[in-house]
Formats: sequence, C-alpha cells, structure tokens
Amino acid sequence: MTRYVMFRAGQAVLVLWAAFTAAYVLLRLLPGDSILIKFQNPELGLSPQQIAEIRAHYDGGASALATYLDTLSGFLRGSLGYSIDTGTPVTERLAEALPETAKLASAGFGLAVLIAVAIAFAAASSRSSWIRGALLSVPSLFVSVPVFWLGILLIQVFSFRLGLVPVIGGSAAQQLILPVLTLAVPISAPIAQVLARAVDQVRAQPFVPVVAAKGASRQWILWRHVARNATLPALTMAGLVFGELIAGSVVTETVFGRNGIGRLTEQAVNAQDTPVMLAVVVLAAVVFVLVNLVVDLLYPVLDPRLKAAP
Amino acid sequence: MSRSRLRSTAVAGAAMLAVVGLLGACGGAGPAGAARAAGEPVYGGTLTYLEHQPPTCLYLPAAGFYPNGGILNQITDKLTWQNPETLEIEPWIATRWEVSEDATSYTFHLRDGVTFSDGTPLDAEAVAANFDVYGLGDEKLKLPVAEFVNNYERSEVVDRLTVRFHFAKPSPGFLQGTSVIGAGLVSKKTISLPYEEQCQLKNIAGSGPFTVRHQVVDKEVRLAAREDYDWAPPSSEHQGRAYLDEIKIIVTPEDNVRVGALTSGQADFVRYVQAYDEETVKSAGFTIYAEPTRGVNNGLYLRPGNSILKDPDVRQALLAGTDAREVVDTLFTPSYPVATSVLSHLAQGYVDLSPRLAHDPDKANALLDKAGWARGADGVREKDGRKLRLGVFVAGPQPLSKQTLELIGQQWAELGVKLEIRPADAGTQAVDIKDAEKTPLQHSMVGRADQDVIKSHFHSENRDAILSDDEKLDRLLAEQSAEPDVAARNAKVGEIQRYVIDQAYAIPLFEEPQVYGGAPHVHGIAFEAVARPWFYATWKS
Repeated sequence: MTRYVMFRAGQAVLVLWAAFTAAYVLLRLLPGDSILIKFQNPELGLSPQQIAEIRAHYDGGASALATYLDTLSGFLRGSLGYSIDTGTPVTERLAEALPETAKLASAGFGLAVLIAVAIAFAAASSRSSWIRGALLSVPSLFVSVPVFWLGILLIQVFSFRLGLVPVIGGSAAQQLILPVLTLAVPISAPIAQVLARAVDQVRAQPFVPVVAAKGASRQWILWRHVARNATLPALTMAGLVFGELIAGSVVTETVFGRNGIGRLTEQAVNAQDTPVMLAVVVLAAVVFVLVNLVVDLLYPVLDPRLKAAP
Repeated sequence: MSRSRLRSTAVAGAAMLAVVGLLGACGGAGPAGAARAAGEPVYGGTLTYLEHQPPTCLYLPAAGFYPNGGILNQITDKLTWQNPETLEIEPWIATRWEVSEDATSYTFHLRDGVTFSDGTPLDAEAVAANFDVYGLGDEKLKLPVAEFVNNYERSEVVDRLTVRFHFAKPSPGFLQGTSVIGAGLVSKKTISLPYEEQCQLKNIAGSGPFTVRHQVVDKEVRLAAREDYDWAPPSSEHQGRAYLDEIKIIVTPEDNVRVGALTSGQADFVRYVQAYDEETVKSAGFTIYAEPTRGVNNGLYLRPGNSILKDPDVRQALLAGTDAREVVDTLFTPSYPVATSVLSHLAQGYVDLSPRLAHDPDKANALLDKAGWARGADGVREKDGRKLRLGVFVAGPQPLSKQTLELIGQQWAELGVKLEIRPADAGTQAVDIKDAEKTPLQHSMVGRADQDVIKSHFHSENRDAILSDDEKLDRLLAEQSAEPDVAARNAKVGEIQRYVIDQAYAIPLFEEPQVYGGAPHVHGIAFEAVARPWFYATWKS
C-alpha cells in the first residue's frame, strides 16, 4: 500500500511539472503580452520606448530558460509572482477567489450527486418501463443544456419573474442557490448515466437472484447490495467531471457576477495576464491530481476485492 | 442633532411619495414625468449601482475607463467644475483663478478647510504635488503622464492656499483639464505611492463626498457618505453631505442580468444598457439616461500609411460608400445620433459637415473605378493581382462593434470591397493595432469636453488613431492646442474637421452616448461633461 501511494505521488509530481511546463511554453508563444496590452492603453499616452523600459523592469531581460527556471523555483517555494494587470501578488488573488469557487463547486458537486442518485435509483425501482425510459433520458437532456443559457433562464424565472431569490445583494446562502443549481444540472448528467448503467449491470449478476431467493425485497436488494457495487464506476466518473466543474464555474461565475477562480481566469485571459493564467493552470492540475488520487485510494475501501491487488 | 430628525422626515417623505407614486400609477401618468416631480429630497438609503465591468487600475489619469470613473467621480473632487450644460468652467476647490495673457501660467486660489479622507489638508502643496505627477509623470514611481496636461513645466506654491502652474508653451486647454475625471485630487500620501499601489482603491484618499467603506476585488465596492463634506461646487443646488448614506457598486457583467435586476427592483441604477434593451427598460416605466460624450465620434479611422488606403480616392470611396444612417436605424436607437462631423454636435468647435458625409454609392463606385480597382470574378475588386481587402478589429469598448462592422461590411461588399472583421483578442490586437499594413482601419471614439479632444485622437504623439504621417494635420492640431483665444481656437477646430473629411481619414458613424437605466424612485442623478455619473445629489424616494 505504501509503495502504491509513493508511486502515485511520484506520478502526480510528474503530471504537475508537465502541466506547468506546457502552460508556460504556450503562454510565451502567444502574440503580444500583458505589458503591451496594459500600457498601450492610449489614455496613458506612453511611447513604445517607455513601454520597452517598463518591460525591461518586469523581466530584467533574462534569457527564456533562466526566466523559466526562476518561475519554476518560485512556484516550488510558493511564490507565484505578481499579476501584471492589477499589480497584486497572484497568491493574494487566488486566496480571494478560491474559497468562493470551492463553495460553489462543492455545493454544485454535492447537489449533482444527489440528482444523479435520485434519477438512477428512481429509474431502477420503477416498475413501469415508460417512467423508467423517461427518467433515463433526463441525463441526455441535462448534458445538452448550455450552462450559460440555463443560468440566464433560472435568473429570469426564479429571480426576476417570481422574485424568489435575489441575484443582487441577498445573503451569501441566497447568492449560492441559483449558481449551484446551474452548475449541478450538467454535472449530474454523466454521473447519473454511469450510475444507472452500473445498476443494471450489477442486477444482472448471479448473486442477485440468490439474495432474492433468500427472501430479500426488491428495495432491500437495490439499496443493500446493488447500490454498493454500482458506486465504483460512478466514483470514477465523479473524479473525471471535476474538469467540467472548473469549466462550468467560468461561465456560472460570469453570469452571476461571482468573484471566483472562473472569473479570475476569464479576466486573466482577456488581459493576457500570464502569471495569473499560469497559476490557475497549475492550481487546476493540483486539484485534478488530488481528486483522482483520492478516488483511487477510495476504491479498496469500497470494494474489498481490490485491497490486495496493486 | 439633525440625523434622527432627518431620518424621520425621510420616512414620512418616502411614505407620502409612495402614495403619490401609486396615484400616478393608477392614473396612468408617465412614470418618467412623475419621477421628475417627486418633491423634496430625502436623506438616507443605499443606491445599488450595477457596473458592466470591474474597475482596473485606479491611478487617476487612468480614470477615463468608465468603471474606474464611476468610482473615482464619487471619492475625489477637482480644482474646477465644468458645467455639463454650458461647458463653462466654474469654481470648485479653486474659488477663483487667473490665467496669464498667453496662457502659460495659471494661478489658483483654493478653498480653505478642505480635507482628504485620510485627514490631511487639501492645500496648495497637495495640489502642486498632484499636478507635478499628472504633468511630468514620475519615472521612479513608474507614474505615467496624464493625457489632459500638455506642455507642463513646473508648479509654484505661492502661499498655503495659492498655487501657480507654469507651462513651456501656451496651454489654453489646461483650465478645462483641471475639471476632467483624471484630474481628481488625492492626498500627498496617495500621490507619492508607486504606480502599482496607486492602482489599488484602498490606497486612494480623495476629498469627495463619498469614501471607500469596503471592497471585494472584482465584485463589489461600497462607498459611504462623508459626514463632514461641505465643499460641493458653489453652483450645485445641494450643499453639505450627500443625500445617500451608501452606494453599492456591484459588477454584473451579463447585460440581461443588469437590465432584469433593474426592472425587477433589485437594483436602482445600471450602466451600459444595450440599444436593444432600451425599450424593455422604458416600457417597464424606468428611465433611460443617454448621456453625450462630446468628443470624437464613433467611426472608422482610415490609416494613410496602409498601401491600399494611401490612395485618397480609395478613402473617399469608402467614406461615400458607408451609410451611417442605416447603421443607426438598424442597430441603435435615437439615443445614438447619426454623426454630422468628426466631432459630436455638442463638442466645442463643432462644425456641421453632414452634406459631405452623405451616402453616395455611385460616387464610391466611380472613385474606385478611377483608382484602378476593377471587379473580379467573386465581386471583390482587384488591382495588380491584389484584392481590395481591409482588416479591422472588433472594438471591445464600443457598443455593438461587431454588428456595426458586419453591417458596414455588407455595405462595402456592394462596392466590391471586402471588410475582414477580426475578434478583439487582446494579445494580437496589441501587436497589430500599431501596424497600418495589418490593421488599415480602426473602430474607435474618444470623449472629452474640450477642443483638445481632436488632438488626443489624431495627433501622432497622442492616441494616433490613423497612425498619422501627415505633418500638416499634426501642425494644425498643435496650433489649435496652443491658441489662447477661444473663437480663434474653435475656428481652428473647424478647419481640422474639414481637413480630416477632405482627406477622408475618418468615416464618422454616430455620436456615442453612455446609456444608463434608472429606477423611477431615483432622483437627482447628475453626470460630468463626459457622462460619468455623480451621485452627490442623488436621493431615493
């Protein structure tokens, strides 16, 4: 087990380094840079020569490799540099944005799991094939709804028409309701699909008729035996949808005017604020790696058969 | 003493107004009319103001960006006040001033007893420190020079409340320059901070009627009324502290969320109502404020350094072949008047050149034929194996820029000219916008209520919209800028407008406004001369 964890940790470090390097190279290859974008603002009236001086002040004219190594060692020491757009340390901006997105993403993910479980098990316990079919087509509908459109629709109906939840002002909890719903709907779809299919597969296994023959009820079988075995594939899927959580939060945070990692990313991209973009990419990679590591380590806990394996 | 009394009057007043409002609604009276006649102002309350974008760097000379100006206009005062109706310069922090005959020295006498929000006095030394930075910049602190100060030489503190500025050349634009949004006065402590720190709102200490109470970066700014504020411009009807207790500025990027929040009562005032939303706002009984920006019009600016556009006939053809009226009628509303010159009809020195801007496709085709561009098989004109193809970037700050360019692209397609519209990717744009070969056209405008605005836009050392190599144009602009006599200066501005159209450096489209939406219970919204809101005398019923 220890060897397995060590191996996975080493793998994680490699993935992070690769993500950092790829992002670094790509960002450097982009035309223009944030210094030009920011200081070419005509209202500042700077000459190209003055802009060149400002640039020299920022990167000191060091070679590409030296700046790369410098940035890398900065990241290792936890110093992520300064946002060129606002002049604040990147760590400060992340610290402000991260809790907002963490709240949104965790609540959104929690709700998505609830919706997925509800759909999959309602379909499994339903005796009418018509209802079952209808329920199983819900995920396809959910996954094809654009987040942007859904957000606007929810705001229009629940806030502007019915006046149930304020979008502007309102308490922290009220401000979370609609964004969480917006984010949860598309995320729940792939989890629900995988869960429903897994439930079907487990039910076809020979042990199910055995348990039934011993006198277990349909519900007992579903919740005590099938559910437990069907969670594994769904858990894998849950680890994978994390990427969609980040992508979804970019749109959701913009529509709802929330200041999280998604909005930060959008603004950094607009201003080509390289240090912020690099930090966001590495942060996303870290969380992705961690989530998947946790998922892998959870497998043996859920399924005793996997305990001995690796 | 008066606070609690004020409050109870406020409540009674609000109740009465509510009744009046109901009666008005029952009678079907126009809500806009009812809002105007709403009676006595009341103190108290919070104004929820929705902004389209988050503020960027708040160093004052960069305040021209509307989200920055919307905040800085509440927390800073200026030496002088430009009356938005008459465009006259009136006293504010400076009670009076003297300008030398040749406009090379200005002496300002300051009001006594004014303080910044950090407690330090607003005196001659502080004012001198501000303008030394705005006029000369500061290399060590990385502070750039401000666009509205030209030819600045030095300041001189005459006594505690008298300050004099000296200029290397006649600078008649300086008096108006002291009234613009970027000339807001900040404390000596603020002005001596390095650029990066002056960018941050928490470091800005002004003397304005509001102070910063709380900021959540990129999301929300809360401003609180300053109780001891007592130095509004003498021409303001309201004096003393602001009516409102608090202003909550919330960044709401989505257009229809801003409009929906306004009409559903969740917000009081919003900036940037799109042309297609104006009707929604009005029909819900809310008010549209379309404020003029009094500068160089929204239009396409043609770069003579480009190898196709260096031919004046081609430029003339594009000017004649563009139908600005169709652009406004199709995409915009009456809030966007069709351009009748390079400048807005409310700009100083404006001359009406509308006959020369008339849409004339026959003339356009004839000019292009004459210039040797013949139609190819695909309908696009060619000359020496080269297509008549011109590129332009979508202008992020301009309303419906993409749609505007698409419509013009259709008009030009009929002439056999291909307009290539490129998305506003900040990086590529920053590199290519200064290259006439890659970017032969620019879609832009500039707002400022002074003759100098035309210089800002066209001079090769300012914004240089057309990447000018035209020495005559630069000379005319410089002469205008140094002309102390107002009538002579306006005549010069007229000459420049004619010259720009003669040369077809510009295809003026419309006079770009800033469009705001306000709830019927919001009164006393004022705007500075270039349409930034001023909430000092604003109150809610």
